[in-house]
Amino acid sequence: MSKIAYSAFIAFLASIGTLVSVHALSSDEEVDSPREARDITLDELAEHDSAESCWKAIHGGVYDITDYVPNHPTEKEVILEWCGRESSEAWDNKRPGRPHSPGAERQLENYRIGRLVDDQGEPLEPAAAAPEQQSEAPADAVDDEVGLDEADTRLAKALLSGHYPDGRYRGVFSDGGEMQVNVQFDLRDGRIGSLSYRHLAYAGTNYRRLDEDDELYPVLEQHRQLGEALEGRELHEIFLLYTSQRLAHDVDGYSGATLRGNKVHSAMRDALNRGVYSWP
Amino acid sequence: MPLRLYRGDLLLIAALLLPLAIAGPRLGWPPGEAAALLGWVGRVSGILGLAMLLVTAALSIRLPGLDRWFGGLDRLWWLHRLLGFAAFVLIMLHVLALGLVRVPAGVDVAVLTLFPPLSQLALWSGWLAWLAMVIFLAPTFQFFGRLDYQRWKRLHLLSAAALLLALGHALPLAGETWPWWLLGALGAGAIVWRKLLSPSLARHPYWVESVAPLARGVVEIALRPEGRALAYRPGQFVYLTPLDESLSAGRGEEHPYTIASAPHDLLLRVGIKDLGDASHALQTVSVGSRAMLEGPYGDFFAADYPQRDALWLGGGIGITPFVSAARGMAAADEGRGVQLFYLANGPDRAYYLEELTRCAGEVERFTVTAHFYRELGPLAESFLRHHCPDYAHREIYLCGPPGMIGHLRDLLDAQGVPAARIHCEVFDFL
Repeated sequence: MSKIAYSAFIAFLASIGTLVSVHALSSDEEVDSPREARDITLDELAEHDSAESCWKAIHGGVYDITDYVPNHPTEKEVILEWCGRESSEAWDNKRPGRPHSPGAERQLENYRIGRLVDDQGEPLEPAAAAPEQQSEAPADAVDDEVGLDEADTRLAKALLSGHYPDGRYRGVFSDGGEMQVNVQFDLRDGRIGSLSYRHLAYAGTNYRRLDEDDELYPVLEQHRQLGEALEGRELHEIFLLYTSQRLAHDVDGYSGATLRGNKVHSAMRDALNRGVYSWP
Repeated sequence: MPLRLYRGDLLLIAALLLPLAIAGPRLGWPPGEAAALLGWVGRVSGILGLAMLLVTAALSIRLPGLDRWFGGLDRLWWLHRLLGFAAFVLIMLHVLALGLVRVPAGVDVAVLTLFPPLSQLALWSGWLAWLAMVIFLAPTFQFFGRLDYQRWKRLHLLSAAALLLALGHALPLAGETWPWWLLGALGAGAIVWRKLLSPSLARHPYWVESVAPLARGVVEIALRPEGRALAYRPGQFVYLTPLDESLSAGRGEEHPYTIASAPHDLLLRVGIKDLGDASHALQTVSVGSRAMLEGPYGDFFAADYPQRDALWLGGGIGITPFVSAARGMAAADEGRGVQLFYLANGPDRAYYLEELTRCAGEVERFTVTAHFYRELGPLAESFLRHHCPDYAHREIYLCGPPGMIGHLRDLLDAQGVPAARIHCEVFDFL
């Protein structure tokens, strides 16, 4: 028994030694010339969205990983899904909250073909647009369909371009010296689920303690409808909360300027800023 | 070791495969493509290797009685060694496979995967665990000569560090952590019990009542229990820790000795042959001094087939389990016939022969035959057949020095005796 283990031990040392020495020898010859940084726009990136030619933008760099796709340890669909797109989020969340390893990062560099730029040729970083800068999104487009139109979707996505790992989030909206909304929701594959209120109050009234026959009770009901309406939606669709009448019924009772969708929106944005409260 | 499955083995297999079964849905079946297969092998060998490491640690618990689930303590130690070595090999395979799988992306990537920046604590924790294993396995590989038993035991404590470091490697990286918490708790619990708790909780205090010399270099020590006596069966052994201040060596050290007294005896007797520093010192242990006993262990006579007669072959100090059984035989209500061959160098070295012959006189179904090496050479088949014509059909029990066991196994094997009917206890580095 000990002979086999001993032989394996020697073989192991020899193999690791070979690997390390080959590395040491080859890195001596390596010329560390930075790869030419070609400017690539989102439009050009989007053309390479298939297994035949798969480009991805990750943290400002653009990588042609077509040759690597067959070697990726997961199902092909997982890696192909992100072709032609800004993929930093996928890169940073190999599993929820867990980025790829330094080894993978080094490997990725071998596929670098350029950097991602906008139409003006300025470099694009995935989180360039900080959400705080434009908290007042003009989402007043009136639409019969409950959903953001294309322009709004694009804008909403840009405003929420940070990456939010899957998990449970909690956030708060406070104003006038009181906590008005405390919201909890889950993110799964970028979609909202199980939205609930841990606290809901205005002007000293705790809405979660109201009886069903209370005249303000519909307000609580409508907030619950907001949660139901957001269930399964993509994260950027929280901008719909600015026009909450499109998500909740009985708008008359709702528009009493007490508790409003934009407060829920604010609390959710607070939750996102705080980061994951608990992992899935 | 004959390949016989004990009930404990099933538990063992279940524990070993648990993490793999939990990770199974994620890992899938081995892929056909070479690089993917290598990655799969790397992950599976890591999971299996760590499971083995933790189960190996858990096996070191040495609870009296539990060893019989595994066919006795000697077989348990054999399993411990087997799994420990297998874990070591699998862990290296794990490292190598996961490194090599990155070679197509460049040797630098492969090297960086194996030796990432120091901030990757979990990965380096794995390396340290491996290093700890190399150090505590070093005596086995005889890197710096053969260590004595006590120093080897102290060095083996590094396995606790290896266990914790290996968990530090796996818990942050593993997809599913609860199997690791479970097996880790079992392994760490076993070490804590063995090293911290059992010395005070599991040892029974005894007094040395008498020390009777049997032959040159052989004594029988009789021990009187201070409190409740150990309950044991013939063929079992105890770990004895003498506390006699005047001992020249081995004071406070535990060593295994086979019990030679009958289970109903008020005193517990052990036959001790001068085979090393500790057993040499025990030859002159003071009467009235204290000794701690832990046990009993072993399962020598467990595979009992009362309907079949037994053949006992004992030599050297390996006669002691048979002495215990013979002394208890008059009291035991058992129907099967037993023939004991006492294999000794000569009459002067057959130190229990007189008493065994007396037992045989009292119990009709028990026969003793002495065989002296100096007169007859190694035991011959004709001698065996002459004194015990149906020996090949009996349940056979062997105990003695390795040379004798090897000779007898060959002899019985040549006569077509199935290995499953031969029971043998080997005391090797227990």
